[in-house]
Amino acid sequence: MINGVRRGSNAAPWFALKVVNTVIFIFILGPILITAAASFNEANQSKFPPRGFSLKWWADAFSDDWVDPVLFSFRLAICAALVSTIVALPLTFGLTRYRFKGRDALITLALGPLMLPALVISIGLLQFFYLIGLGDYVGFWALLAGHFVICLPFSVRTIAISLYGLPANVEKAAASLGASPVTVLFKVVFPLIKNGILAGAVFSFIHSFSDVNVSLFISRPGQMPVSVKILGFLEFGFAPTLAAVAILTMIIPLVLIIAIERFGGLGDFIYGERARG
Amino acid sequence: MGNERVADIALRLSKLGKKFGSVVAVDGIDLDIAEGEFVTLLGPSGCGKSTTLGLIAGFFPPDSGAIYLKGASVESLPSFKRDIGVVFQDYALFPHMTVADNVAFGLQMRKLPRDEIAARVDEALQLVHMQGLGGRKPLALSGGQRQRVALARALVIRPKVLLLDEPLSNLDLKLREDMRIEIVNLQRRLGITTIFVTHDQGEALVMSDRIAVMNAGRIEQVGTPGEIYEHPRTRFVAQFIGSMNFFSGRIVANGGPSHVTTDKGLALAVPVPQSLAVGTPVYVAIRPERATLSARAPGVDDHITIKGSVRQVIYLGARHEFLLDLESGDQACVWVSNEKGSARYAVGEVVYMSAPVDSCLVLPASRGHASSPRSDA
Repeated sequence: MINGVRRGSNAAPWFALKVVNTVIFIFILGPILITAAASFNEANQSKFPPRGFSLKWWADAFSDDWVDPVLFSFRLAICAALVSTIVALPLTFGLTRYRFKGRDALITLALGPLMLPALVISIGLLQFFYLIGLGDYVGFWALLAGHFVICLPFSVRTIAISLYGLPANVEKAAASLGASPVTVLFKVVFPLIKNGILAGAVFSFIHSFSDVNVSLFISRPGQMPVSVKILGFLEFGFAPTLAAVAILTMIIPLVLIIAIERFGGLGDFIYGERARG
Repeated sequence: MGNERVADIALRLSKLGKKFGSVVAVDGIDLDIAEGEFVTLLGPSGCGKSTTLGLIAGFFPPDSGAIYLKGASVESLPSFKRDIGVVFQDYALFPHMTVADNVAFGLQMRKLPRDEIAARVDEALQLVHMQGLGGRKPLALSGGQRQRVALARALVIRPKVLLLDEPLSNLDLKLREDMRIEIVNLQRRLGITTIFVTHDQGEALVMSDRIAVMNAGRIEQVGTPGEIYEHPRTRFVAQFIGSMNFFSGRIVANGGPSHVTTDKGLALAVPVPQSLAVGTPVYVAIRPERATLSARAPGVDDHITIKGSVRQVIYLGARHEFLLDLESGDQACVWVSNEKGSARYAVGEVVYMSAPVDSCLVLPASRGHASSPRSDA
């Protein structure tokens, strides 16, 4: 993107920008690198630079104690992303294309969780599940419900943006060429908003995978996302095991994003409208 | 066109009306378009021409009236069952498909066999001189090329009617002028009934068999380019196409040596239509290229002559435009073709503007006096 910017003759702003960028990168990457390094300590101390070298904390991180919650989080995030995408698709179509009674209320409802403290949602869900006699379902199903609520705004937003970004007359053009409304949807609309749908799903996945607030009260032993498990473990102090687990949980969404970027071009959606005709 | 057989009429609009909220976009339009005819809907933006096109294409239903496509009423038919080709101003190509896939789309919808589709796509691309570019994506094409693909995509389905919605307005001037001729030649060769929407009078004059001039949701006048230019029936048509000097006044005498006195007191001895009574407010309209200038009163018969002085000279290369302050207080413009390489009259010089009386039009000032635009539709 920088290539597109014309450089002025005045060097000072560019220098300032470089400084700011460097500081930002230091504060983003620094803690990650320190954490990663700390996971290789020999003794059970999170020292930096690490004292000695050992892989035992990584072995710990790959024990069932930690792999189970990581897999649980992974499953939960996949389901949350799927459900929120599947619900958001028709919902967003309705919201962006039709004016109807209760539309504003529906928008507030769908996007509200962005503004609502997630802890409130969590406590609310916990009480609600017990109130309607579904207390036994606290755990995966309650978590899925909670994560669906907090992921929905991401899916709705990204899908809405790509729907608004559709070239103006392509649907009419397709119709005039003999495509029925369903065919227009599958041959023209979906292919053109594909990246938006995908981006929404990825955001949802990451949001769910890294969530602590909503998960805190509606987990139960054995059905606990890794984020909550980490939080619990922290009560005993920061151990190198946690450093290894933290890096592990960071790598999963990262790999996902890289894979999708390679395969579908998420950047197209986030950075520009290269798909426009 | 009233005496034509119904079978020869490709498209008939009958009392077609459309409102958007409280805004009347199309206000009861009647128009018959013959098989193979090229008809232009011409008018300023907001006159309802694009809405009319949308109604024909079936993008939204009319509030009133009927549309007959080859004799069959189609208002209740959805767009995808109408067999109408549309070329949009922004081309509306499918950005995720190659050029060939774009062109093939309509044929795939018709479930034609693969090899026939391939053959017809090739043929269509050849028609618009885009052969060999079938593998490109629309984004890799220039504006002119996209336009050609859009045209090929609409033509390849062999539609009953081709609709062109300001397809040239996004192109450079030079390319636009070339495409005018190219589209018309293509249309004549294929004999496809075409409705062209534009606000550009030049395009309308060059391309059309007939022009329907639209204003405020209605058709003001329908006719060949020559009829519209030479015999505009309303002030709106007269000023929308070409340039025109208007003198507002009233009819003083009718029958025999009739004339009009302008609001500023100028007496113009011009022939007045019998249908307009003495006292009717009218405009006398004179094309700037029909009037001539002279340093002394010419004193020729069958000409009106008005004294004035040159206020401004505008140099346009091929001609000079002289803006005049007339003795009466009116203003006028006269075009003099540039045959000598310099302006014949200087600013401030006294000149006589004269025009043959048969080039002066007398147009009723109020709409009610215009002969109904429906009568020839």
